[in-house]
Amino acid sequence: MRKRISESLFAEAGTICCASCSHPIAPTGASWKKAAALSTIPVRSLPGAASNIEPKIMLRRFACRQCGHLLDTEIALPEDPFLEDVVVV
Amino acid sequence: MDPITFSIIRHRLFRVVEEAVITLKHVSGSAITNEGHDLMVSLYQTDGSLLMGGVGFLHHLTSAAEACRAIIRRFHDQIAEGDVFLLNDPYTAALHTSDIYLVSPIHHRGKLVAWSACFVHVSDIGAMNPGGFAPEAQDIFTEGFSSPGIKLIDRGELRQDLWDTILNMVRSPEMVALDLRSMIACNNVARERMLVLIDKYGTRTVDEACAALIDQSEVKLRERLRELPNGRWQSRQYFEVKGEIYRVLLTMTKQDDTLTFDFTGSSPQSKYSVNCSKWAALGGLFAPLFPLLCFDIVWNDGAIRPIKMIAPEGTIVNCTRPAPVSVATVGAIQSVNNAACATIGKMLAASEKYAGEATAVWHANHFAIFMFGNNQRGRLAIGILTETFGGAGGARTFADGVDVGGEIPNPISRMANVETIEAQFPIRYLFRRRLIDSGGPGKFRGGAGGEAAIVAHDAPDGGIHYVVSGKGTRFPQSDGLCGGYPGAVNDYVWVHAPQQPHNVDRFAQSLGEIPGEDEPISWGVFPLMGNDALYLRWDGGGGVGDPLDRPAEKVITDLAAGLISKEAAREVYGVVETAGVIDERATDARRRELRQARLAEGPAP
Repeated sequence: MRKRISESLFAEAGTICCASCSHPIAPTGASWKKAAALSTIPVRSLPGAASNIEPKIMLRRFACRQCGHLLDTEIALPEDPFLEDVVVV
Repeated sequence: MDPITFSIIRHRLFRVVEEAVITLKHVSGSAITNEGHDLMVSLYQTDGSLLMGGVGFLHHLTSAAEACRAIIRRFHDQIAEGDVFLLNDPYTAALHTSDIYLVSPIHHRGKLVAWSACFVHVSDIGAMNPGGFAPEAQDIFTEGFSSPGIKLIDRGELRQDLWDTILNMVRSPEMVALDLRSMIACNNVARERMLVLIDKYGTRTVDEACAALIDQSEVKLRERLRELPNGRWQSRQYFEVKGEIYRVLLTMTKQDDTLTFDFTGSSPQSKYSVNCSKWAALGGLFAPLFPLLCFDIVWNDGAIRPIKMIAPEGTIVNCTRPAPVSVATVGAIQSVNNAACATIGKMLAASEKYAGEATAVWHANHFAIFMFGNNQRGRLAIGILTETFGGAGGARTFADGVDVGGEIPNPISRMANVETIEAQFPIRYLFRRRLIDSGGPGKFRGGAGGEAAIVAHDAPDGGIHYVVSGKGTRFPQSDGLCGGYPGAVNDYVWVHAPQQPHNVDRFAQSLGEIPGEDEPISWGVFPLMGNDALYLRWDGGGGVGDPLDRPAEKVITDLAAGLISKEAAREVYGVVETAGVIDERATDARRRELRQARLAEGPAP
């Protein structure tokens, strides 16, 4: 049975999948982010960045490795771990 | 009890609070109360537990409950009809010293039946910096007077000695007196209307309805929590003061019908006044919880019961006395609020039933600029730039955030007209408008923040000074949701005017047009003198969903409205256009290219 995880993810048969292309990403019950494609952008490079932005702060983008659809983002300094979101299914 | 009587009493309680709020605003003379709605009025039970939470800054609903309890503990057998108590100690219950609680018992025929409590941010509290926010404070002792509870009015008689003592400790006694009188009037109206209600229905019936109302809120919230998926969600907020970086780390766990907010892993308390006390952190997490999870549930003690908070002592979210906390409301409390908004948003987004209630983080960072100095009428003026209450809505899962759309913790916040501020202070606005590229990109875009620039005008002392507590210029704080990007950050620029007066442009319409040398500032007291200018911008709301999923037509509309730049349209949204006309083939190619680029770095390490 298909269960919603977020706008961009669902779980089915013990697997978290991309809501855009249904590509399986990771087993349920743990954080899926390490199984996603990660790209990082310095926040200061984004349009609208202000004069005083911390140079090390990054926008982490977690995308489906199949279709490139964006699954989640988080703001982080390089030394900080991924935020973990685990939905019990 | 019969449901009709219950419903009538429930609505009468709402009206008691609403009428008390109206009274507070009518008597108050300050923009922060009347325009920014930096206020709160609520009703409490005889034991101090929350009975009917009002609107205004929701951080205060639980803190004022603790204030009531603190007064009950301190004055237990000395509480009489007609008393009014004052409390503003952050280590007892308050959020910071300048948010004064006035707490009044309500007696019916000699018997205590309820409490009313309210707060406003008073014009001054005698801290080392005017206006209450004291970025230069090193401890609570330099943040103005703080009381763990005093009886200001004794059986209906104002204690003039105390009144005079308080006003003797602040910079603008006439305005602070008006602030206090507005709260006294507010509590008087709350008491009178409660007594009318009790006279009509009787103490027993009203008590029964109040008990049922609290039980109903608990039952409804627990039912809602059971409908939501079990899980664990995290969020992290960064902010910075003078090179020191702080984190508020939140792990929210939902299990059956309970919700636990655990701030373990947050930074140790700061030497700067951005810390918050335990009660303040609790208020901070409830500020988004009430509107997001209890949008159809009365905000009272019943809605508090299923919630647990873990805030390790000695951290920035539960500091120990005498750490300074005067910037707490726009510092750690606001980050707690943002973090809770983010995790609640993620939980709601995981629910088929409640995904439509999910939101990215709204306007995440107040800039809290307090100006002070002699105004054009030669009188001392102290007050906030209320643009900080203009805010910006976070995007939802079905719609864009509202531009300059307020904030989650204060559903009725707004900013004053430019003319109101110019009438109060010797300044002139060069411009004020929505800020391009400030709303977090996403399938649904975050609401835009704003920007403004001011110069001194008709100032008897050649200008004015201001206090800025801008800990949020280095890190975005309005997090996106489900692939949305964060909103842009605040920024403050002191433009030093050129030496040659003929080079001064008194009608500049952008930061780039203001001649002079730019100096980014964020923390401390600064002058706005001569021909210098202060430029400020405030953050946008977070976006929801992949920006490449945003319909190209909406991107073009945003471009035409000046809400996004051509660069954002192409580089973030992947929309290629010429003179506002979409090149569909090039847009498809650009979006494929941007998606492919996301895969180039490979899997996460």
